[in-house]
Formats: sequence, C-alpha cells, structure tokens
Amino acid sequence: MAAGTVKTRRTFLVIFLFFSLLFSSSGQSSFTRQLIVQLNPGWSAPAPPGGDLLHIRAVGDNDTLHFLFCSQGAPTLLLVHTNSSSSSVKVDWTPFLARNTTGSLRVEPESSVLSSTALVFSRVGDVHLKSAQTLNPHTQEVNLSLSLSQLLEYDDINDTASMTSDLFPPYELQNLSWSRMNSSDPFAPLCGSVVNSSGSICLQLSAFESEGRGQSWPRLLHTANSSQLGVWLDGVSPRAARSRFMLELQAVGGAYPLSRVDVHRSIDDEFTPSIFKASHWVSSANGSSEVVGFVRWRSVAFRRSKPALEDATPCRNSAPRPQSSEAAASGLIRAFYSNVETFGLNVSFGLAGEPFYNSTRFLSWTLLMGVGSPPVDSFSALVVAVMAVGLGAPVLVLLVGGVWICARKRAMEPTAAYEPIN
Amino acid sequence: MADFEERRSLLGDEDERFVGDREPQRGAGGTGGTGAMPAICDPRHLLHRVVVLVFMCFLGFGSYFCYDNPAALQTQVLQDLNLNTENFMRLYAWYSWPNVVLCFFGGFLLDRVFGIRFGTIIFSVFVCAGQIVFATGALLNHFWLMEAGRFIFGIGGESLAVAQNTYAVNWFKGKELNLVFGLQLSMARLGSTVNMNIMGWVYNKVAGLVGSPGYTALGGSLMIAAVTCLFSLICALVLAYLDKRAERILQKEQGGTGEVIKLTDVKDFPLTLWLIFIICVCYYVAIFPFIGLGQVFFIEKFNFSPAEARAVNSIVYIISAPASPILGFLVDKTGRNVVWVIIAVTATLAAHMMLAFTFWNPWIAMSLLGVSYSLLACALWPMVAFVVPEHQLGTAYGFMQSIQNLGLALIAMAAGAILDTRGYLVLEVFFCACICMALMAVVMLYFVDYLRGGDLNQSAAARARLQKEATSDAENKRRPTPRPLLDPSVITCPQECFEMMSFIRLPAPPPAL
Repeated sequence: MAAGTVKTRRTFLVIFLFFSLLFSSSGQSSFTRQLIVQLNPGWSAPAPPGGDLLHIRAVGDNDTLHFLFCSQGAPTLLLVHTNSSSSSVKVDWTPFLARNTTGSLRVEPESSVLSSTALVFSRVGDVHLKSAQTLNPHTQEVNLSLSLSQLLEYDDINDTASMTSDLFPPYELQNLSWSRMNSSDPFAPLCGSVVNSSGSICLQLSAFESEGRGQSWPRLLHTANSSQLGVWLDGVSPRAARSRFMLELQAVGGAYPLSRVDVHRSIDDEFTPSIFKASHWVSSANGSSEVVGFVRWRSVAFRRSKPALEDATPCRNSAPRPQSSEAAASGLIRAFYSNVETFGLNVSFGLAGEPFYNSTRFLSWTLLMGVGSPPVDSFSALVVAVMAVGLGAPVLVLLVGGVWICARKRAMEPTAAYEPIN
Repeated sequence: MADFEERRSLLGDEDERFVGDREPQRGAGGTGGTGAMPAICDPRHLLHRVVVLVFMCFLGFGSYFCYDNPAALQTQVLQDLNLNTENFMRLYAWYSWPNVVLCFFGGFLLDRVFGIRFGTIIFSVFVCAGQIVFATGALLNHFWLMEAGRFIFGIGGESLAVAQNTYAVNWFKGKELNLVFGLQLSMARLGSTVNMNIMGWVYNKVAGLVGSPGYTALGGSLMIAAVTCLFSLICALVLAYLDKRAERILQKEQGGTGEVIKLTDVKDFPLTLWLIFIICVCYYVAIFPFIGLGQVFFIEKFNFSPAEARAVNSIVYIISAPASPILGFLVDKTGRNVVWVIIAVTATLAAHMMLAFTFWNPWIAMSLLGVSYSLLACALWPMVAFVVPEHQLGTAYGFMQSIQNLGLALIAMAAGAILDTRGYLVLEVFFCACICMALMAVVMLYFVDYLRGGDLNQSAAARARLQKEATSDAENKRRPTPRPLLDPSVITCPQECFEMMSFIRLPAPPPAL
C-alpha cells in the first residue's frame, strides 16, 4: 500500500509536470511591441523616383526596432535595434536617391537613453552588452541588413541539381522594375516583373507585435524581435525545360558580420510537415557563441501558392563568403553603412530527382530576420496534451485497478476463511 | 508437450505402416495404375510432399511481395502521381476494406462454394488481376484505377492465405505441420523483405529504360512486380493438379477449412475477448500504417538514403521471421501471456517514442519494434483460445481479423491526413496514443482476468499442474490437455496469427462423465 502512495505521488507529479509545461508553452508570449508604419519618411511628393522606403518602428518598453524595407536598387531589409523607445530615422532624400552618400539615412537616438541600456541589453545578453558598449557606446547596438541581389537560373540537363550545369545570365534584381509601395496597404507584396516574361518575383514583408506563427507553411515561429520576408517566383518563364533557380542573398551585419550558417535539426515538424531542419545564418560577436542577429529559414520551398506537403521541395544553401563592399547594389546599404563587410550566399531550390521549376512555374520561400537568438520551436499544446493523457491514462487504470483489487481482496479475506473448500 | 510429440510420432509411424501395407495390394490390383512411381511423383512419399511444399510456399509469395509495393516505392508513387499522403494511404485502406467482410466468408467460400483447389485458383487470379489493374492504373496515370486494383488485390490477398493454410493442413496434418506453417511464414516475410529492398532498384532500372522517372516507369516496375503474382498463380494451378492427382491416387476427400463461423456467437463473447480485440486493433494500427509511411520519415528526419530507408523499414519483417518461433516457444514455456503482452506493448511504445522524440539511430527503435511486434503476436493470438470455447474459435478469429482490417483501413487514411497537415511528430504522437490505448486495454485485461481466476496469466507450471489434475480426474490419460489446435486448425486469421498456430493450445475439455 505504501508503494501505492509513492506511485500515486509520482504519477501526480508527472501529470502536474505535463500540465505546467502545457501552460508555460501557451502563456509565453507576453512580450509585445507597438508597430508604427511610415512610407517614405520625410518625403513629401507623391513617390520618390527609383523606389520606395518603408519604415516600421516596432516600439517596445525600453527599446525600438527599426525595420527599413527599400526597393531602391536591390530590395533590402535593414534592421536596427536601438536602446531607446523614442529613436527615429532621418533620411536626407537627395543624397539618398543618388545612392552614393553614406549617412544619408541615420537612426537618431535620444541622448539620455544610456541609463536604460542594461535593461534592454539583458534581453539580448550580457556578453553582448559589453562588446556593444565598447564598440558603439551611444547609438544602435545591433543592425543587420539583407538584400536580394540576384536570381540565378541554370539548366539542370542531367538532373543533378548541382550548379556546375549551364548557368544562364542572372537576373539582377536591382534592374527589375519594382511595383510601388502603397501607404494604405504597406504590407502588400512588392513585385518586380522579370524582363521578357510575364512572370514576376515578389517579396512580402511582415512585422509582428508579438510572438506567433505565420498563417501558411512553413509557419515560421516569430517573435516581436523579428520580421518575416516571403519571396516567391510566379510565372517566370524558365529559359530551359529543366531549369532550376537559386537566389543570391547578401547580408551586412555592421559590427558583427553574418559569417556562418548553423543547421539546426529539430524533432518538431508539426508546423512544417516532414521538414526537420532549419538554417540559421547568424552574426555573432567576435569569438563568442552569442548570437546577436539572425536570418532563419526552414530548408523547404513550395511549388504552389497554396502549399501542400507534396509541393514541398528542399532548399540548400552555400557557405557564406565575404564579398567586396561594391557588390552591395542596394541604395539602403550604401546610405546607412560607411564601411561594410558583406557576406553572400546562394540558396538553391530543388534536389536531384525533384520536379523542375517548369512543372508548376511557382516557387515560394520564407525567411525570418531578427535580433537576438533565433526563436526555438517547442512542442505544441496538442502534442503535450496527447502524450500526457496517453501516458497518464494507463497508469491511472493501473492504480485504480490495483487499489480496487486490494480493497476487494481485503473485503473477501475474512469471509473466505469460513467458506467450504471445493 | 511430450505426450503430444509421442502421439505424433506414433501416428506418423502408423501412417507409414498403413501406406506400406496397402502398397502391394494396390500394385497387384492395379486400381491406381501407378504401381511403380518414382518417389518424387508418389503422393505418399515425403519427397513428393517436399515438392508440394515448395509450390505451397510460393503460392503466397506474390501477394506478400506486392502488398507493400506502395511502401517500397513511397517517394516515387507520391511524386510520379502527384499524390498527397492521404491519397497514398488510401491504397492501403482499399486493400483492407474487402477483408472487413471477407474474413468471415473466405473459409466458407473455400469449403462450400468453390472447394479448395478452385478457390485457391480464383483467389490467385484476383491477386494477379488486382496487381495488373494497379500497375495499369499507374501506367495510365489514373489513380482511381490503382485504387480499384488494390481493392481487387485485397479480395484475393487474405483469402489466399487461408487457402494456403488449408492446403498445408491437407497435406501435412499430423506430420510436419508446424514446420510447414513456419516455412510458409518465413516465405511471406521473405516476400515482404525482398519487395522492400528490391523495388527501388527495379524502378531505377525501368526509369533508365523508359528514359525518365515518371508514372510510366512506376507502372512498368509494378508490372514487373506482377510477375511474382503470375508466378503464384502458376503455383496455384500446379497445386490444384497435384492435389487432384493425389486425391485420385490416395482416394482421399478434398480438404476443407473445417471452419464454422456463426456471427450470432458474437453476443456470447466474454469481456476479456473484447479487450483482446481492442489490444489487437490499437496495436496493429500503429505498426502497419507506420511501415507504409516509414520510408520518407527515415529519409527526411534521419538523413537516410532511400535504399537505407527501405532497409530499416523492412527490419521489422526480417526480425520477426526468426524471432517469432523463438519467442513463441518462450511464451509457450513460461505462460503468463498477459504480462508478455504488457511487455510487448510497452516496448513498442518506447520504440515509437524514440522515433518521435529523439534523433537516435532508427535501427535501434525499429529493431525494438520488430522484437516487440513478434512478442505481441506470440502472446496475444493464443490467448483467444483460452477465452472462447473451441466451436467459437473460428468466429472469434474471424471477427478479430475483421475489426483489425476495419481499424487498418480507417487509421491508414487518418494517418495520411495527419501527416499531410501536421507532420511526422504529430503522426508519431498519434501512434503513441493508439499504443497507449492498447496498453490501457491490456492493463484492464490483467485485472479482469485476475478477478475471474487468472486463466490467461497463469504460468506454464500452473497450467501443467491444472492439466495433470484434469487428466487424472477425467481418467483419460491418453488425451493430452490442453490440446494443441490441430484438427480444425485452419482459421481465418491474419498472417501473425498463422505464425502462432503451432502454439495455440485449447483449454482442457470438461472431464468425461
């Protein structure tokens, strides 16, 4: 009987543990930011020539994230983390449009914010706090930018999905004519029509007030510290029947270049069925494992606009390579950074044996970019609940049955002594 | 057991002597006209029976080979036909649907309607035609035709297994029957394993021949797989001829399954039997649909090559071939079936949780799954004979197979849908939940059985003691009790059950008055 109570306690402990897990996983998303969206800040005329600049201020309690998305030159997303909740972006439009003057776009902090630094930094990490302070004591601590420079297409005659095959002249994304952004719907897709083709390449930015997941696959987990960029190719005519595509990305990390890609394996594929890998392209402080900024994606692209499992196609990336600063064809990068250390990598879509682009003429891929460490998937409430009930129920049956049998035995014992034996 | 061995050998001798006595007579009379036959042609001779055994074993090879064709070619089927997983799993569901009903009538059709020889040929034709329709559907890229093919294949598949066992009893009753059952089963496992490991290669060769992978290549490789069914059909024809010939020479009756299924028996089934049904359904739905979907899982989660993935997927079958007789013997010698079932279910749960929540090498989990799957079969199927009277055994096994097929059909589709929308983790959690239900049922079975006197969970020693008492009471020392299930021994039940046929013991009969 004593063993029974110990068992009971243990069981309750297990059940309690599961339920506390359950609630902790659902009650995590307390951190929120307020989003303020502005199109072409400081520009009064209808639309600046050559492309728009979208500015999203994500204001937290003690800090601000500035997301800047620009179609001047190659489309670029710039993320600046400041330790003030009242920092702002200043653009000198004339040099900015000329795309050659550093400092034509600045993030201006209030001068009195130093005291609040510690609190803000604690979210990013102490190690980083120190290095950031020594490097740049009064302004932005983390900034990183990502630009999509080229769309590469190659003819995969032997179906090997390796780039050694015939490479067509790349589409330079800075040369495409991009659609105009709209202040009434700032998160509308930005599309660039591809020359000699009815198709286009589109980008869609999302910024978030709080933690959550995207609506459609790959349903990346995001926090208020990150933004999501969806990229898709729709109806671009392939130049060969067996064409496959690659996308060249360039990232600038300011003080901390995005120099390595970590591949994370996760047992959790609930939100991206049958995909167990995610790539984290991270920038970290010198010699430290502390991650200060990241670009994260699941190793999957989809061949249809309404993705299903059978439309999933794996994607791979090359190792990031340092590139010359002139390589950055983005107006935003030139305006913001003075001395840039650029890293570039290619993401290629499809493996040997997979259907070619021509089969659906659609390809979509999603990435997440943010400051701090990449968000880590945890088991959903569904999984935890099913396992808790599934494992708990047999134990419960065992206990109830055991107790019942014991009770019955006890009740039977005295009478059994007087019963005749047959 | 010793008694039984003795009786069997005695019987064997008797048989031989009997045959020996009759031979000169017949030679003199010339009734058969086969006086001086070489041993290989003589139905009375062991050598001839071995030849028959070879055909018998290959009779089922085709259907076992083709059953898991979709699993072996999972990636190719999904890609070439542009299917989602739910549709893919319908190929398995369509196989199970006819068997929800047919397992009640398979034996009846063999006995009363067609007869064993004609029945076997008909079922072989169904298997063969089903596979050809399946392959044609792939060639023409018509998925509905493939589903129809699997349905036809299903009509023949399980009934053919019954026919195969009827033949075995017919030719080997009282002689080498256990060995024959064992060999047939090893052949079935061989069919499944060879299929898993060879179809990818066949597909690549066909794809090379037709120029590119695609539904044509898929249809072509499935057509090649159909050759095994054709081969099995030829075996059925040869067996029919040999059986007819033996009947003429030996002047014996055409054998039947001897099975009587009365659906009205269902209302008399005890609670323990229903619990056994629940265990059976909940357990097997977490095994077969998983194997059907395993290949892509091992490729995606564990970075296996397709060939490796197919190999690890087939390990369950490979392990169960040698493990089943060994574990069957172990369970038979120790008794305590309920405890063994609890161990098997728990081990399976552990294996599924390993696959779900860890990146440990899947060879570990799959091997554990293979052993526990064999152990469960050894402990679970013979239990039925303890809880229902002999005359209801056929109905009980038929019913068990029917709901197992119903469960497989439904869960196969559900598993596909879950994978399509929520991925492998949730699918594995779903399978874990099924196993947990089985675990709950087996724990309940333990208590119910305990309250009713604990027949199921007796140790072998206790069983032997009871047996001794029963025999001395009955003053019938020559009859061994519990008796092995040999006489009406062919019962419509799935593959795993046949395997355990030699370990199924009937409880001691009531003492003769």
